Amino acid sequence: MLATLAQAVVNGLLIGGVYALVSIGVTLIFGVVKIVNFAQGEFLMIGMYISFFLASSFGIDPLLSLLISMPCLFAVGVLVQHFLIRRVLALGDMPQIFLTFALSLLLINLALLLFTANYRTVQTPYSELTIHIGPLYFAVAKLIAFAIAMLLSGLLWLFLHGTDLGKAMRAAAQNREVAMLMGINPDRVFCVAVGVALALAGAAGSLLMPFYPAYPLVGQIFVLMAFVAVVLGTLGNITGALIASLMMGIAESLGVQFVGADSGLIVVFVMLLLTLALRPNGLFGGWAR
Amino acid sequence: MTQSKVGRPWLWVAALVAVALALPLISSPFALDIFIRVLLFAFIGVAWNLMGGYAKQLSLGHAAFFGLGAYTSTILLIRFGISPWIGMLAGGVVAMLASLPIGALCFRLRGPYFAIATIATAQVLMLLFLKFRDFAWGAEGTTLPNLGDAPLMMQFDSKSAYYYVALALLALGLAITYSIEHSWMGFYLVAVGEDEDAAEAVGVDTTKIKRHIYLISAFLTALAGTFYVEYIYFIDPNTVFSFNISVEAALVSIVGGIGTLWGPVVGTVLLEATSALLQSWFGSGHGGVQLTVYSLILIAVILWRPNGLIGLFSDLYERLALSGSSRAKEAPLDG
Repeated sequence: MLATLAQAVVNGLLIGGVYALVSIGVTLIFGVVKIVNFAQGEFLMIGMYISFFLASSFGIDPLLSLLISMPCLFAVGVLVQHFLIRRVLALGDMPQIFLTFALSLLLINLALLLFTANYRTVQTPYSELTIHIGPLYFAVAKLIAFAIAMLLSGLLWLFLHGTDLGKAMRAAAQNREVAMLMGINPDRVFCVAVGVALALAGAAGSLLMPFYPAYPLVGQIFVLMAFVAVVLGTLGNITGALIASLMMGIAESLGVQFVGADSGLIVVFVMLLLTLALRPNGLFGGWAR
Repeated sequence: MTQSKVGRPWLWVAALVAVALALPLISSPFALDIFIRVLLFAFIGVAWNLMGGYAKQLSLGHAAFFGLGAYTSTILLIRFGISPWIGMLAGGVVAMLASLPIGALCFRLRGPYFAIATIATAQVLMLLFLKFRDFAWGAEGTTLPNLGDAPLMMQFDSKSAYYYVALALLALGLAITYSIEHSWMGFYLVAVGEDEDAAEAVGVDTTKIKRHIYLISAFLTALAGTFYVEYIYFIDPNTVFSFNISVEAALVSIVGGIGTLWGPVVGTVLLEATSALLQSWFGSGHGGVQLTVYSLILIAVILWRPNGLIGLFSDLYERLALSGSSRAKEAPLDG
């Protein structure tokens, strides 16, 4: 019983690392640009398809294709910010919500047209591999995904705290007007923020590929997880999003283990509604809209 | 809107009604099926628009009420033999009751988080109905009993009867919107939609007004749910709680013009016409074509016409009415 519980926690924690990459992206865009990106999950999907096609056409390992999917999605992010999001920043709620929502619809259905609804998987030498420590099993692919996810989160932290551009981004997140007065170019900062956020989603996609199938709707579950984690972890708070994502992963895994295999989604939605009802400002601080 | 200043809008409405009433007499069953879809989705759009357009509470979970309306009437029909006409009203009441806790939960959230919370409520209801095997048939759903030509049970032999029911629903929705638009409630709603804090500051009880409009919107959406399952003779959770219904309700209103009486109607006509054209070009085999085009239209509208396409029509109308026949030929070029 205890071993089952510990195993469920481990499984949840490992997948929670991938959730964290998506959540951090959502919260970064929300914190800096003040937009909720409904399409974040679809950029994860694009990352997955990039890795899938590189693996199936050129035999490139999904973990290696991280080095391609991340820059690709960074570029996509800059374009999305420059040509789409920038144009609705001065408008009201409706355009701000429905622009990224429409983008999400567009990407899902384009993927459906181009790649069909079939599940695509990549077999790697380590896809089925597990190592055990004591009574616990660790799937190697998930362990690697978790480790790289944590590494990328750490690098993002260093970037935000150690570089001028990162500091400018945090300044813009705290107070856009004052940051502009200090000579920070918001357009540039926003482009970098969205680019970085999408690169993280792309990384999450590549990391998932060795053990998770790619299909057009794959982003939906991840983005819902991310929304819950972002609300739970206080909007715009990156550390909060990280911790909450790991918690979400564990909660989902415990739900699947102890309530039933199809209850993962219900656990997510109930957690979201409970969070909104009980702690609309999140668990980690009083910052609210 | 500008249209009231020129011409005689009532004349146009009368002409529109006459055309709408005459349509079944001259259409094929295939065309009639499309018209019924247009009327139904325009009606759902009108119901959504009260909430999303006037009060700017951008719900993406109206499938919750659509599904509750559909299930209430179907359960009453199959389990108790109660006529769907009564079931329809019962479904509306159930949806109203459901809107109270959903509203209580979601109304303290603003903007995108309101939208996300409404998605979650609709999805939770769908998941629940997938689980309820005993009285709601679970994931398999059920077909509705075919009672032949039984107008009292909302079942008709001729498609045109369904058409007129859908037309009556749309007329009801438009009449309610019109009367709200011209009452104190309409002004309060617009105030809430423009700036909730400012509305609160000048003494509008924003929570109460949002609750009221949510009740009305939920009721109307549930009527559409009952009609839909009566029309297709089938119900299952994935159909009636489908996220696509929530999306389409918002989409037709935004494309047409949110917060306007005719916006959802204009939006539905344009989108359904596009959809019919796409089907005739590509066939129905290619999944994704329709929504790809819809989302491109939506992006284009948001970027270039955030007030919706209805503005194009009222500009055009104004130009036609003012310039007479000599210059009328130029007008479509600007559209």
